[in-house]
Amino acid sequence: MAADQDTVETVAALAGEKYAHGFVTDIEQEFSERGLNTDVIRFISAKKDEPQWLLDWRLAAYERWLALDEPDWARVHYPKIDYQDLYYYAAPKQKDGPQSLDDVDPELLATYAKLGIPLKEQAFLAGVQGSPRYAVDAVFDSVSVVTTFKAELAKAGVIFCPLSEAVRDYPELVRQYLGSVVPVSDNYFACLNSAVFSEGSFVYVPPGVRCPMELSTYFRINALNTGQFERTLIIADKGSYVSYLEGCTAPMRDENQLHAAVVELVALDDAEIKYSTVQNWYPGDAEGKGGIYNFVTKRADCRGVRSKVSWTQVETGSAITWKYPSCILRGEGSSGEFYSIAITNGRQQADTGTKMIHLGANTRSRIIAKGISAGHSSSTYRGLVSVHPKATGARNFTQCDSLLIGKTCAAHTVPYVEARNAHAQLEHEATTTRLSEEQLFYVMSRGLSQEEAVQLLVNGFVREVLQELPMEFAVEAQKLVAVSLEGSVG
Amino acid sequence: MLHIDNLHVSVADKPIIKGLTLDLPAGEVHAIMGPNGAGKSTLSYTLAGRAGYEVTGGAATLDGEDLLAMDPAARAARGVFLSFQYPLEIPGVPALTFVRTALNAQRKARGEAEIGAPEFLKRARATAAALKMDFEMLRRGLNVGFSGGEKKRMEIFQMALLEPRLLILDETDSGLDIDALRIVSEGVNALRSEGRSMLVITHYQRLLDYIRPDRVHVLAAGRIVASGGPELALELEREGYDKYASAA
Amino acid sequence: MTGLRDALLSRDETRLPGRRDEDWRWTDLRGTLRPLPAVSDAVQPLAAFDEPEGVQVRRFAAPVTAGTFDASLSVAAGETLWLLDRVDAGAGAYARDLALDITLGEGATLHRLVLAADSADAVSVTRAMVSLAPGATFHQTVLATGGKRQRIETAVAHPGAGARARLDGAYLLADGRHSDQTTILDHQGPGGTSEQLIRGVAADQARGVFQGRITVAVGADGTDARLKHNALLLSDRAEIDAKPELEIYADDVACAHGNTVGTLDAEVLFYAMSRGIPEVEARLMLVEAFVGEIVERIGPAPLQDAARAFVADQLEALRR
Repeated sequence: MAADQDTVETVAALAGEKYAHGFVTDIEQEFSERGLNTDVIRFISAKKDEPQWLLDWRLAAYERWLALDEPDWARVHYPKIDYQDLYYYAAPKQKDGPQSLDDVDPELLATYAKLGIPLKEQAFLAGVQGSPRYAVDAVFDSVSVVTTFKAELAKAGVIFCPLSEAVRDYPELVRQYLGSVVPVSDNYFACLNSAVFSEGSFVYVPPGVRCPMELSTYFRINALNTGQFERTLIIADKGSYVSYLEGCTAPMRDENQLHAAVVELVALDDAEIKYSTVQNWYPGDAEGKGGIYNFVTKRADCRGVRSKVSWTQVETGSAITWKYPSCILRGEGSSGEFYSIAITNGRQQADTGTKMIHLGANTRSRIIAKGISAGHSSSTYRGLVSVHPKATGARNFTQCDSLLIGKTCAAHTVPYVEARNAHAQLEHEATTTRLSEEQLFYVMSRGLSQEEAVQLLVNGFVREVLQELPMEFAVEAQKLVAVSLEGSVG
Repeated sequence: MLHIDNLHVSVADKPIIKGLTLDLPAGEVHAIMGPNGAGKSTLSYTLAGRAGYEVTGGAATLDGEDLLAMDPAARAARGVFLSFQYPLEIPGVPALTFVRTALNAQRKARGEAEIGAPEFLKRARATAAALKMDFEMLRRGLNVGFSGGEKKRMEIFQMALLEPRLLILDETDSGLDIDALRIVSEGVNALRSEGRSMLVITHYQRLLDYIRPDRVHVLAAGRIVASGGPELALELEREGYDKYASAA
Repeated sequence: MTGLRDALLSRDETRLPGRRDEDWRWTDLRGTLRPLPAVSDAVQPLAAFDEPEGVQVRRFAAPVTAGTFDASLSVAAGETLWLLDRVDAGAGAYARDLALDITLGEGATLHRLVLAADSADAVSVTRAMVSLAPGATFHQTVLATGGKRQRIETAVAHPGAGARARLDGAYLLADGRHSDQTTILDHQGPGGTSEQLIRGVAADQARGVFQGRITVAVGADGTDARLKHNALLLSDRAEIDAKPELEIYADDVACAHGNTVGTLDAEVLFYAMSRGIPEVEARLMLVEAFVGEIVERIGPAPLQDAARAFVADQLEALRR
């Protein structure tokens, strides 16, 4: 016997119901017309006051998208999406962009307060002495509501602002790097995003600068039948360092909502980017009704020598996750890391992993992926490690572990390895196991309840990955892991 | 026999041996002693021809032949044998197969006839018995699952069968208890002969109680900084390497 | 029916599997057979071959141009069979699709050795569909030397119920040869074990492919399935592609796979050379030891001997 039958049933029954961020904000919003055509793209571009080159870029992407097919190789199943039935732009109505928090609709402020996202800088300052601070860019459907700590970051030379603002204020930087990591027609969803992206964050860290605080973007989908297509671009110039965190939630709705984001990271010589995600989109209810379709393309280009990018993700939400944060290890001696926890419950389906493309000599990569499946869910690790002929001295280590709770869930591991250099060392290990009855019994015999025991063991299982998160978020993520599997009480 | 003249060696572009000169006549046993980091292992790897040990100057000849121009196998065929400080494990290759392959490769390189299996087995049995080794162990993968002492004994076993002319013992006493040290030393001493020279590289004097050297050299910071008779080893044991550290 | 057979019989080149087909991504047959040769019954003459004693031998010779073959074999309940399937070549270019059905009765034991010696210009696909009854034991070793495209596929329907499967294999590839070993181990019922160890070596511009899928069906509790693939690249122009897959629908299981790709250990190589073994010999010795582990796992002595001889021949091809 694995986990107690009651445990399994309770875990399953709780799927979706414990989602704490499922409320809807009642606020007047402005939409584009329903569906997708060049007029809608012109509308979005006009709303953002974009230069002609960007509108042309979008229109070209749209042309390419029309010729592409939706990918079907992932181990996820969902009814065909009617792309003409969606809204591609939704924004809270307000006159001009907010100049300060005072200009922001109080309803929105209340929303973020309810989500526990601090938008008031003084709220940090008033907090416990020495408590960590982090800057937030809050994105609500298709627009950024507010970005905090901008002034303080500017002092260090760090640019942190909504992408639409960056297009206006730093057009050369945006033009140089946008689409340089994830080309317009890289894949179906990335191409769609290139045509209709509406918001996202832009970060530039100048040479030699260590970003003085954590940066984070908080994404919220609120409007009905609306896709969110954010686009994030982070550039770490030579010798710089930045740590960035992304959080996501959405209301509980019976309809599926589409989220097709693109994230591009560029690390130049000796630069380091640490990118963490705590993804808690609405997963749908226990029967699989509703929830977010999370079809995301995230890629880092380690362009510079000795550059480093580390992806850490905690994926607990979404009805469907299709996501492979990757590293192109181009610079000599560059390194990439991928640490992942993917938890599925209810009817959730996740197909997630990474690609490590070793192009340069002495490049290193490390992959630690932990998947936990419960209920009727399915979780797939899919990863590629590829070593090209010039990547002499490349090294990879991959560890994938899956844990199954109950008899109706599934766990899959699909690693692809392609080696074309005789001086590379690649190592992959994977295991699939159940929650051990012996361990559960042992822990419970020391006085823990069954729920506590399951939490303890699951936390042990994912610990290696949690440790990679910035400290202030690790605690949050640990709670999220517990909530996602709540109901472990027999 | 071995003549080293003003040798300079770098590892990863870092100079380690900086002008080492040494003469080892036939039939003699010389000890090279020195503190950690003096370049002792670099010297033994350079003489055996390991990749990554770049000779940037000087020469080393064996009976007048340029040793440094040969690959490791050719050096072995000329009679060079390095007893490794950390012998390697080779799963799937039985020790007996390994040594016989090596012996016949060397003989072939020297234009000698190969040794047949029965004759080889006879020699191997006798040698194993002298070294108090379990013969069955020799049928397993080379050094796989062997203790530190067993691996060192395996080095001496190979040495006895390959009959080299220049023996380089790199920290042969490390990891040996007193009984193993005695057996290993007896094995080495049994090989002492007129036409065979030995370079005994060690940090401690202890080994030299068992293998008596004719000469002792002190290696510090990549050079020989002092040479003398066996009494020099005892002096080092008493006084340490401090005074040579400054001399270097 | 594979795309190859479909294509051969219909002479429709577009039906060949290619790199866009998930299961054939590294064994692209498109373009290797243009135009498609006609299917012919004639086969190329074979060189003499010493048949080991106590072993049932099946020789599948090369067609002159293109051919499809089917054969089935069953081992009755409680019986034991030692089987050698030799997929032979004459010479020259040909296309072949070989489909083999193997059935093991209750408690039956089959030791199967596959020696795949295709020609350098061959496009050759060998598929075995193996079905096990409860308590059956199936031990297989595939030794392959590649072709222009060579694919050896083994699919095992595993009922659990005390049946045991072991799928071992090795590929030793030189020149521009390609070889693909694909296994599908389908655990359909509770209480099954399976074990796989595949070792591969690719030199020159050769390409070695391994795909191993372990599936554990709903209810196949107590399954213990393990798979290991280790490969050595002996040249910067060679390629190894691997995809070990786990597809698990039952929770009470212990499944694991491991995959390593590397090259010969430089330190070990130096150690062997310092004993007087020339570099080429030292490399061959280490390669032989690497693959030797597969040979030594073969139980019946006549099969083990046949395997050892086959490997020894192929090592000569790697000598350079």
